[in-house]
Amino acid sequence: MSSHPPPSRFSLLSPTNTSARFSLPSAPSITTATTGTPKPLSRPNIYDRPLNKTRTAEVSASAFAFLFSEVVQYMQKRVSGINDLERRLNTLGYRIGTRVLELMVWRTESLSKAPKREIRFLPALMSIHTNVWKAVFGKPADAIEKSVQNEDEYMIIDNDPVVTRNISVPRDMSQLSCSSFTAGIVEAVLDGLGFPARVTAHNTPVNDFPLRNTILIKLEKSVLEREELFK
Amino acid sequence: MSHHLFLLSPSDTPLYSLTHFSTKPSQTVPSPLSANLPSWSTSAFAGTLTALSGASSVVQASTQGGGVRMGGGQDRHVIQMIANASLDVIEEVVRRDNGMYLKSVDKFNEWTVSAFVTPGNMKFVLLHEGKNEEGIRAFFTEVWELYVKVRTMLNPFHTAHNAIVSSVFDGRVRASARKYL
Repeated sequence: MSSHPPPSRFSLLSPTNTSARFSLPSAPSITTATTGTPKPLSRPNIYDRPLNKTRTAEVSASAFAFLFSEVVQYMQKRVSGINDLERRLNTLGYRIGTRVLELMVWRTESLSKAPKREIRFLPALMSIHTNVWKAVFGKPADAIEKSVQNEDEYMIIDNDPVVTRNISVPRDMSQLSCSSFTAGIVEAVLDGLGFPARVTAHNTPVNDFPLRNTILIKLEKSVLEREELFK
Repeated sequence: MSHHLFLLSPSDTPLYSLTHFSTKPSQTVPSPLSANLPSWSTSAFAGTLTALSGASSVVQASTQGGGVRMGGGQDRHVIQMIANASLDVIEEVVRRDNGMYLKSVDKFNEWTVSAFVTPGNMKFVLLHEGKNEEGIRAFFTEVWELYVKVRTMLNPFHTAHNAIVSSVFDGRVRASARKYL
């Protein structure tokens, strides 16, 4: 290792030493070379960028946590109550969900000869539980449940949601669930696939998982009627 | 031989449209009905009327005509109407067919309508004459990729209901239309 620096230093020095006289004429050629490249300032076109996921494109969880914390702070200053805050987080998630859906399906289906969409509700719900969760949070959700009382209600359960991992809600706002953001994503995906629903988030802590969260999906009547026809 | 592409938002708002004239030869069969229709036009709706009856070879002496032959079925408003009418059929097929590429969902006179529905319920509708399944499939796949880029490259300035005005998008779609159609 110790023998490495001297040779490299020599190799750097020797050309400048020998061609010291020609440094002036050679300098313009360098500058013309840099200006010769077409518009170094123009930004790369988004149409030229590949859409496939790469390792290097992943963002650290702390960057997201900081950003999300700012989002919640920003919104909290502009709302009148918990419901309003949850609704806004939901809207924000919705905008992300529409994009997640298109991008996620493109990544899995675009290479196939006959790309497919989900048209039945249960497979769509399964794909949200695994694929959407993996695309957004890097792990599948923990469970899917169907409500016993109401047949139009389904639940996706996450024992340790990434979104609220660093959030501690004050006691006077204990109703608030910042996973409304996730609920918005789920709502957008369901809407996109043609299953309109009202999606809300609820804190359902248990002993082992104090952060456990339930995403409650209340389907519109038309969806159930259509599912009946498929049977 | 011409192609007409429409991109429609989930709420059926047209976001982008393209008319492409292919250099490849067409194999359209003239409708026998067209021969029975008078070639003169009496009202503003005559063009629509002849178009709807299937006359594709009627020369319209209209103001925008000049020396250009305006076939009845090639009128802009007729094209738009056919595309709009096909939406009902597409809506129906989408519910039971789980493919994104819906080939030849509808036919109207010389026009065949093919469609592509993205997972986010965005509809690409293409009116074409003649058969070109593989070409259209490849074309739709490329348009899909371009659309995903315009929509999902986290571009905050675009939502599902904005018209697509990007000139690069337009150029790319035209290029792939030249390539496949």
